[in-house]
Amino acid sequence: MRTGILVAFVLFVFAALVYSRIMAYSLAPTMKPADFHGLPVWYIPIAYLIDYFSHGWICLLFAFVVAGLIYEFIPKEAITKYMSGNRVSGYALALATAPFLTVCSCTMVPLFAGVLYAGAGIGPAIAFLLMAPASNILAILLTGEILSWELAGVRIVASVAVALAAGLVISKTPWGRAIEKEHQITASNRTATLELVKPPTDERLWAALKFGGHLGKQILPYFILGLIAVSYVEAYLPEDLVGAYLTGVTGVLVASVIGGPLYTPTLVEIVLGRGLWDLGMSKGALLAWLMGQPYDVANALAVSRIARWKVVLNYMVIAWSGSVIFGLLYGILTGSL
Amino acid sequence: MGRTVNVEVIGVNPPCARCDATWKNTEKAVAVVKTEGIDATVKKLDIISKDVIQKYGALVSPALALNGAVKIMGRVPDPNEIARLLRETAS
Repeated sequence: MRTGILVAFVLFVFAALVYSRIMAYSLAPTMKPADFHGLPVWYIPIAYLIDYFSHGWICLLFAFVVAGLIYEFIPKEAITKYMSGNRVSGYALALATAPFLTVCSCTMVPLFAGVLYAGAGIGPAIAFLLMAPASNILAILLTGEILSWELAGVRIVASVAVALAAGLVISKTPWGRAIEKEHQITASNRTATLELVKPPTDERLWAALKFGGHLGKQILPYFILGLIAVSYVEAYLPEDLVGAYLTGVTGVLVASVIGGPLYTPTLVEIVLGRGLWDLGMSKGALLAWLMGQPYDVANALAVSRIARWKVVLNYMVIAWSGSVIFGLLYGILTGSL
Repeated sequence: MGRTVNVEVIGVNPPCARCDATWKNTEKAVAVVKTEGIDATVKKLDIISKDVIQKYGALVSPALALNGAVKIMGRVPDPNEIARLLRETAS
């Protein structure tokens, strides 16, 4: 009975998204900068929030439900087992699973430490760390819905390339090797066993939805604050300023620099990116902006507790260069630099 | 009787909301089974410490281990479930 209700709810959420697709109904905010002219100052965020949520609730609901389901049903024990394996499978798993395992930031640093200490070493650990925030499932779903699916796809490909490059480069550096040597422990004397208990399906479904709700509770307050900020950006930021500084090669550089420190794990960067895009930011700059996340400060601080600052600086530089290179490439290829 | 269970709650430090919830539920469950004569000692472990990874390998937080075997990983169990596991382990 309970399973039935839960399954019905999940099906409803999926159906709502499919229906919105078939009807070509926009899930992104539809207000354009010009619509804000003449509105009183206090009313601007209200109008924007109403506009956003009347369109965006399906997309947000879908994103949180899917994130919860994936996190609950992904076979975690198999992943953690193979992550402790050799290098090649370490890289492959780190890149393939990071997006699904890390919707909650509190799992990211432990897994980084796990990969580093227990087996695959510093390269896959760094790759995992960079891949995780760059393309976690929530960020990709919202990038697709609010910006465009083309951009979401490019974001994944670029993140994989940058994460792989950073992992390979750092595992060759003397300081990277030093950290690896210091932390490597032999897995052979592991004394404990995994005997995970599987609860019945209805409990797992409920747990998945509860986790989706937990994510929503954590993220939505910041997301709404972000939307309020975006409404003022759209209303007051002059278009020629965006045209001058957020297009061309300068645009990619500027976007990649301000994208990093502004990043909070709250998906705000996606909506803010949408606002700036509406005001005329180029697609190249937009990609650089979105890829700015992995070298944000909070993330770096957590990692520096395990790896040294040299490694952290090293991967920040690689991530930053990656965002510039892919921003420029994407801008040139799409003719929107 | 002397039926004892060694309980380890493995989470991140500083604690995240989900690890805290697991810790609280564990304490509730321990209080319940105490009345049934099961004596459980609960320890909090840091998931990124070398000792933990040496013993258990990479884990997803929060995790719960009973007598050195990881029973739950990456989700928050409710007090009833933990109590049930404690009884199973003790018998």
